[in-house]
Order: sequence, then C-alpha cells, then structure tokens
Amino acid sequence: MAYRVIVIEDDQNTLDDIVAMLRRSPDFTVSATYKSAHAAINPAAMFHPDLFLANIEDEETLNMMPDFVDKFPGAYMLGTMSQWDPLAAQKAMEGGATGCILKPFTAKEILEYLQLYSARGQRKPPKLISFFSPKGRAGRTTLAAILALLIAEKTGERVALIDADLQFGDLPIFFDLEPNRTVVDATQDIKLLTPVSFAPYFYPIKDGVSLLSSPDRPEYAELVAPESLTEVVMMAGNIFRYVLVDLPSGFNPVTLNICRISNVVFVTTMINSGFEVKHAKKAMEMFEQQDDGRRKVYTVFTRVNPFTEENRQKIADQLSYPVDVMIPNEYKMISVANSGRLAKGLPMDTLLMKTISDMADKIIASGR
Amino acid sequence: MAVATPHSIERSSVIISVFSTTPGIGKTITAINLAAGLAHEGYKVCLADLDLQFGDVLNYLKLTSTNTVAGAQRALLDHPDKFHVRDFLIDYKHEGLTFSILPAPLYVYDAYQTDVQLVTDIICELNFYDYVILDLNSMFSALNLAMLDISTVINYIGVIDFLPALKNYKIGYDTLIRFEYEESKIRLVENRADSQKLIRGEDVEKLLGEPFYHRLPNDYPSVNKSINSGQPLMFAAPDSKLTKSFTELVGLYSNHNTQVAPELAAETSGGGFFSKVKGWFGF
Repeated sequence: MAYRVIVIEDDQNTLDDIVAMLRRSPDFTVSATYKSAHAAINPAAMFHPDLFLANIEDEETLNMMPDFVDKFPGAYMLGTMSQWDPLAAQKAMEGGATGCILKPFTAKEILEYLQLYSARGQRKPPKLISFFSPKGRAGRTTLAAILALLIAEKTGERVALIDADLQFGDLPIFFDLEPNRTVVDATQDIKLLTPVSFAPYFYPIKDGVSLLSSPDRPEYAELVAPESLTEVVMMAGNIFRYVLVDLPSGFNPVTLNICRISNVVFVTTMINSGFEVKHAKKAMEMFEQQDDGRRKVYTVFTRVNPFTEENRQKIADQLSYPVDVMIPNEYKMISVANSGRLAKGLPMDTLLMKTISDMADKIIASGR
Repeated sequence: MAVATPHSIERSSVIISVFSTTPGIGKTITAINLAAGLAHEGYKVCLADLDLQFGDVLNYLKLTSTNTVAGAQRALLDHPDKFHVRDFLIDYKHEGLTFSILPAPLYVYDAYQTDVQLVTDIICELNFYDYVILDLNSMFSALNLAMLDISTVINYIGVIDFLPALKNYKIGYDTLIRFEYEESKIRLVENRADSQKLIRGEDVEKLLGEPFYHRLPNDYPSVNKSINSGQPLMFAAPDSKLTKSFTELVGLYSNHNTQVAPELAAETSGGGFFSKVKGWFGF
C-alpha cells in the first residue's frame, strides 16, 4: 500500500517538484499540500497521513514538530532541507521527527531514509556518550567497545562506535578490521554527506553495532578539523540511537569539542602508580570549569583492586569526587582484546561483564 | 610574538627526549633515571616535564613546586629581557647527587595555554646544562614534534606486551622515519623486555627492521620502591637488575662511552620534519 503523504512547503516551485515526483511513484499518494505548518496541523487529520514531508527551514514548522508528533503518533515525520543543517536536524529529532532528508530527493531516496531511520531505533534524539581518559592506558577503549556491544544487544537499537583517538586508535585492532574509509575521510567529506551517504563509512561489527575507524597513520590526524569531527558525530546521531566516541587522551580541541556536544562523558582511569587519581581529579576540575549544565560527567575506575566499597570510598576521598562506576580486573580480557575477538569472545560470566552490563542498563534508562 | 632568543640557538647541551606512542609504559621512570644516572657521572643535568597536562616527574620524586613551565612562559612573554630560566627550576638533591627539574604546569588549564614556540625557547635557554632530558607524552603533538626536532637523540621506548601497543610502536617508528628523523637519532628501547609475554622481542625487531638499542628488564618491585620512596632507582633499589640496566643505558648516552660520544656531541640541525611542514600542518 502506498504512503499517504502530506507535504508542507512554502516555496511553490519546490512544492510543485515534490508533488510531481511523488505522483510518478507507485509508493506514494499525495493526500494534501500546505504552505505552512499552522495551516496543516488541523485539516491534515482528515487524510489519515502516514508520512509528512515538512520544510524545516521554516522556523515555525521546525518549532511545531512536537505538535505534529503528538497529533500523528503513527506517521513518519521527515524534515526537509536544502542544505544539511546539523542543528536544525538535531532540533527536529528533539521534537520527535523521524529524521531529515535533503532536497531535492527522489521517491527511492525517501524509502531509503525511512528504512535507515526505522532501523535506528526509538524515535528519540541520540545519546552521545564520550570516553575520556587523562593519560590513556585506562581501559577506555575496551570499555567503550563492550558497552556498544551490550547496549545494541539489550535495546535492539543501532549503536555507533567512533574512534576519535586519531593518532593511535585501537578499535580497528580490537575488532580485527582493516577499513578503507576512516573518520578522516568522513570529516573531509562531511559537508557533502547526508545520513544515507554517510552510513557506508561505518563498518558493521556485530548486529546493530558499527565502527567508524581511526586512520592508520598518525599524521592524518592533522587533517581533521575539530569542528568537522563534531559535525560527523552529530550526523551519526541521525543514523544511530547511541553514539559512543572513544577520545584521544588528555585535553585538546578534539576532546573539548566532542565533550561539549556529548550527553554523557565518562572520565576513565586505571590505577597503577596511584597518581592516576590525581590526574583524574585535575581532569574533573577542568570539566567543572567547562560545565554549562548540559552534560553529565561521571568517573569510572577500571581494574579496581580490591573491588570493595571501602576502596571506592578511599579513591573518592582522594579524588574529591564520587567514584561513579567501579570495574574489577579480569585477566581474560587481555587475551580477548589481543586477538581481535572482542565482538565474539567476551568473558560473559564474569564480574567484569556483570558490572559493565549494569552500566549499560543505566545508560539505557537515563535521559530520553 | 616577542621571543627572548632566536630559534637557531647555539647549543652546547645534549638533548635526550624520552618519547613513546603508548602511555604508561615507563617514560617518566626512564627520564628520571637517565637524569639521575647522568648527574651521577658528574654532568649538569636538567629534566623537563613536558607531559604538560598530566606530568608525573614531581609525583614520582615526591616533590612539590610552584615553579613550572607555565610560570616560565608567562615571564618570558611579559619580560623577555629579564627572563632567567633558572628562576623556574627546582633541584632534586639526594646524597650529594643533584639535578634540576623544570616542572609541568600545576593546572590543566595552564597546560592548555602553552605555546609551542615559547616552550621551545624555554628549553633552548637550558643550554648551560650538559644534558637536558625531556619527558614527553604519547602523541605526535605540535609540541612533541618541536621537541623531537631539537633533540640530539630520541629515546623511543615501548613495552611490547599487547597487540595494540605493538601496532602503536611500529606506527610510531614508521612515522618518525617518514618525518625524516635520521635513524641514528632514534634509539629504540624496549621496556619490561624479559616479562612473560605473547610477543617476542626478536619478532618486533624483525617487524621494525631495526635492533633495539637497549632493553630494560621487567622489575616491578624496584619501580614500586622507587615511586613509593620518591627516589631514583640508584637509591631506592641500588642492586636491582633494572638499576644496572639503567646504568648501562646512561653509559651509552654519556660521553664516558667513547664509541657513542662523537656522534652525540655532533651538532644537529634544527631543520627536522616539524620545521619543514609546520606551514601545512597549521601549527
């Protein structure tokens, strides 16, 4: 059965083009067209629409997205725009839109977008989660990878892993991949990309989890403009319900930019000499200085030994911040990561996996 | 920008940078023990902690100081004519052994504000020392490239116990070569060389196409003693195999070893990769 479509478009020529295109396609019937969202919201109900194509370059239409979602919960809402605007796309998703599509588009493209956005998961804004560590060697990458696998398994929604550790990213080796396209290519191309053309930059690792790889030469990192990487991460949020970003160590323009747009930042630390707690404290203070109330920063300690509440308190006292997550050691993890079997060989019946699984549950339950 | 010294300085000190591409593999321990060992041989030594955000030199020596690179940078900017790098150093002293330290900034924010050219100028001001040891962090950052450029030798250290670490060591070495650092300038040092591991040192040498310049044994207890007591290994664990191995490495780097001396004493050009490409890297 064909989709019953309502088109909201204030530009007459664009409207004519869209209508003509839809009429040529057996997959769509045009139920009605409106110049503005206000004109559409009440009468549209008469047509039992399945799909809205609404020009969100018009501010009022963008603002009314939640009203349409309320009134037509069963219909797909595609925001249309002639240039990809990450902030407008984000606002549309926050308003409950299915996603956005770039004008001009064909009937086939509408179907592609609908398929991509349906696979993404719940029609809610993405959860952007970044993994920070002060100096590295903190278990940050391993944690991000395991969480990605667990969240996808538990929710059935799509999860992206983005390796933003541009010089020495380890995610491709953890999953035994040799990708042709990397995050560097994505940042170079981002101005020309749409969600549909961006999706193939990701490599499927396992059901629902895809990786955007780091480059294989450290100097390529210099080709990445931090602002472009921010756009890459934001666009990933249109295709994936969860976007997990593995950051380079320490503070630099990349980490600060990505943390700024993240919903959650995990400051990951592994205690070796003991001074790592000091570094974590310095990092937390830096995050506090940068705080604008828009993200949660949590502390995570890996390979905690002894794995006791007393030790948690001891670390917290030194840190002057709570220890939000504490993860025990598991020697099996080393050989799993060492052999590129992270997608298949996780030591499921261990305390380590149980702890990270609890962490995944909290991420899934948190926010929207 | 106003700077106190021209970039092409006449240098008398040997600059040894301690660099790696994986964090947490013993750079700071190596830097401290190189500094202590060279001081023990009678040289004037300064150790600069250039892991600016999260440096550990003072932590490992149980020292505190408000003198830092950040302070030096401010002074150099404000009063270049009155700048004396000595005012921003502190001394490590124990049983008659002394070396100077240029500490890392106290706050991450200050570290974030550092300027590559100013830090380079500050390091070049240390030229009244026989040896300047640079403790770097694990990245090809603009600062690290500038430091590698002015270094006499690059002590490139790795622990090859983990596949990602091996990958990063190899990639780092290939990158240094691509950056046109002379192979003789890069000294491959394997740390924890005799620990039980899945990857053999000989295989690593085959992969790199270069032998290790030196191998440091795995000696966790001695390193622990050193960090817990805040003393270099020669005091904390004088008879340990790791201490002996560091003495050997110091011998390789000091002018007491006639085989190495001429090469080390030779003036290196300042025109390394960083100088050549900083234009198109946008530094």
